[in-house]
Amino acid sequence: MNGITFTLNGKTTCYDGSATDRLLDVLRDTYDMKSVKCGCKEGECGACAVLIDGVLVNSCCVAMGALDGHEIVTVEGYRGTARFEVLSEAFAELSAVQCGFCIPGMLLAAESVLSKNPHPTEKQVREGLSGNICRCTGYNAIVNAVLNAAKEGDGLW
Amino acid sequence: MVNGYKPTSLQEALTIRAREQVIPYAGGTDVMVKKPEGVPFLFLNDIDEIKKITEDGEYIRIGAAVTFTQALDSDLVPPLMKEAVSRIAAPAIRNAGTFGGNLGNGSDKADSVLAGFALDARVRLVSEKGERIIPFDDFCVRRGVTNLGDNELIAEILLPKATFDLPYYYKKIGGRNALAISRVAIAGTYKAEDGVLKGISVTVIGEGAFNRYRDVEAELIGKSLDEIRANADEYAKKFIGKMTFTRGRVSAEYRQTVVTNLITDYLATL
Repeated sequence: MNGITFTLNGKTTCYDGSATDRLLDVLRDTYDMKSVKCGCKEGECGACAVLIDGVLVNSCCVAMGALDGHEIVTVEGYRGTARFEVLSEAFAELSAVQCGFCIPGMLLAAESVLSKNPHPTEKQVREGLSGNICRCTGYNAIVNAVLNAAKEGDGLW
Repeated sequence: MVNGYKPTSLQEALTIRAREQVIPYAGGTDVMVKKPEGVPFLFLNDIDEIKKITEDGEYIRIGAAVTFTQALDSDLVPPLMKEAVSRIAAPAIRNAGTFGGNLGNGSDKADSVLAGFALDARVRLVSEKGERIIPFDDFCVRRGVTNLGDNELIAEILLPKATFDLPYYYKKIGGRNALAISRVAIAGTYKAEDGVLKGISVTVIGEGAFNRYRDVEAELIGKSLDEIRANADEYAKKFIGKMTFTRGRVSAEYRQTVVTNLITDYLATL
């Protein structure tokens, strides 16, 4: 029986546990990726969102076996990028971070929006972030931060 | 791989399916919510044969492991299906959730299944012994129960091209704009010539099961659109008379009232 081989934040790794284990739990408990938050465990809050092959997916709804041969990025990997810097500054500038729990998911959802469409409208940003719930209800600041990042980071996406 | 199989072809998947008890896994968005323990998963998410949208003379063929996002990006998928799929949950779920999963899960709230019923969709089921193609009506027995055999897998959803250009009606009522499971929804297509109805489909979410009331639909065929529009509430009652509403997250009365209103509106605006 071979393990499950995948790339996590650029590093190839092999998971020997059960193929039915939840990616969210494995990221937090085995790989210590604590940016990935557990909010609802049923795909309704977006706090555990990660990028799989560049596509936004809720890690609570992914079983490890599905990841064999795939590439996962969490905020721990994303934070070393110029895109992250631009988003981080825009979020700070507009005080878009309140309690912070939803922010890792929001950042990767923002990355997903901007990588599809570098100059999105407000409506497109809201649609792109619609699966990410902010319990502090700071949505307007977050949406504005993403729109500002699109301007400030022109050419990065 | 412990507790899982990752076949690379459908044939290999069917061999495993025939040999032992497994849970078919495509996108994970439903399976992982329930997360059944003690049964290995059969991972279908990397089988190319069922990840494609193709067409032939009669059908658009949507592979079971095609995601909703893939369908939204495809030029082949008809507008009614796209509209229904665009209202499923939010991007991260649409990026993972699949047509095969939405149907195979047996949910009575599955938005792509609703559109499939309205579009006279069929499902291609495969096993080591061969294949069978059956209408959605025959596949969906009732909430949580499908006609999928123990040794079968869903291979494709077939959408008849004949229904694509027909005018359609679609409305979804959820608890909020995004991440909303349909409380009530309706989808239908119709065909008219010279002001006379030649064909119609009416399907709703809200009954606890998907149904097509073809006898009531047949009663409408041959009538003038003006007559149906003028008596939309009476004709809506004929559909409602066949339906059974039960309490779920919302009351049976709410569901019946909203379904009545939506069917009436559909018929009044043919």
